[in-house]
Amino acid sequence: MFQTLEELKKELGNKILSIKEHSPKRFYVEVKPEDVPEFIRFLFDKKGARLSIVSGVDVREGIEILYHMTFDREGKIITVRTLVPKPFPEIESLANFLPAANWIEREIYDLLGVKFRGHPDFRRLLLSDDWPEGVYPLRRKEP
Amino acid sequence: MGIKNWALKKSPWVFHFAASPCNNCDIEILDCLTPRFDVERFGILKVGSPRHADAILVTGIVNRQTAPRLRRIYEQTAKPCLVIAIGACACGGGVFKGSYHMAGPVDKIIPVDIYIPGCPPKPEAIIMGVVKALAIL
Repeated sequence: MFQTLEELKKELGNKILSIKEHSPKRFYVEVKPEDVPEFIRFLFDKKGARLSIVSGVDVREGIEILYHMTFDREGKIITVRTLVPKPFPEIESLANFLPAANWIEREIYDLLGVKFRGHPDFRRLLLSDDWPEGVYPLRRKEP
Repeated sequence: MGIKNWALKKSPWVFHFAASPCNNCDIEILDCLTPRFDVERFGILKVGSPRHADAILVTGIVNRQTAPRLRRIYEQTAKPCLVIAIGACACGGGVFKGSYHMAGPVDKIIPVDIYIPGCPPKPEAIIMGVVKALAIL
């Protein structure tokens, strides 16, 4: 795994903001939101990783989106982490070259309000049709 | 008890409707039907259409997407039919009570005959609930 991380650093090292080794199996790579498709393409096309899931958290500075790429044969996970600023969070969509990202991006839009540009089928997934627009249940509520 | 109800008692056919559960109660229902606890020896069969069913088993707390569909399924089932609410979420909300996007426990949508609490209820509890339901028919 070190080897894949070293290759990542060599190829795209100037765009990485920080690397954190959380445990021998998990690595967090922090990048800017514009560079995310390039990193994911590198890991998916050239290194054979699989997109496992995308998760999102509402922290005070913005919305943090994490892309978990797993290497199943070695048993390690590299997570690509970005911070998208509120109040209008937007990021480029990965669904055009990664079919696995299609539904999870619709779910993140539905519950957290992040707009994915260029998504082929952009509508809500989980909430019902009479749920009001603009109310995102998983965002932080001011007390 | 008329002749229709008497004919219903011996081997009721059940229809299983999962209204946004966490799926543990569904696993316990399948445990009832498989050979270890085996209610199929009494003739209880799981059918694929509500029009063939004598009883509806509802699991999960009902959310806003499934509420109109549950209403429609109840109207399609031929009366008299039993409605059995399985699990703590279907009976009274469970851990999800008061959460966003929930349309309440099952008895706000359709009338319920038997409540089987538990999280999830053991197969023995489900069997006892179904036996008591047949006794009131």
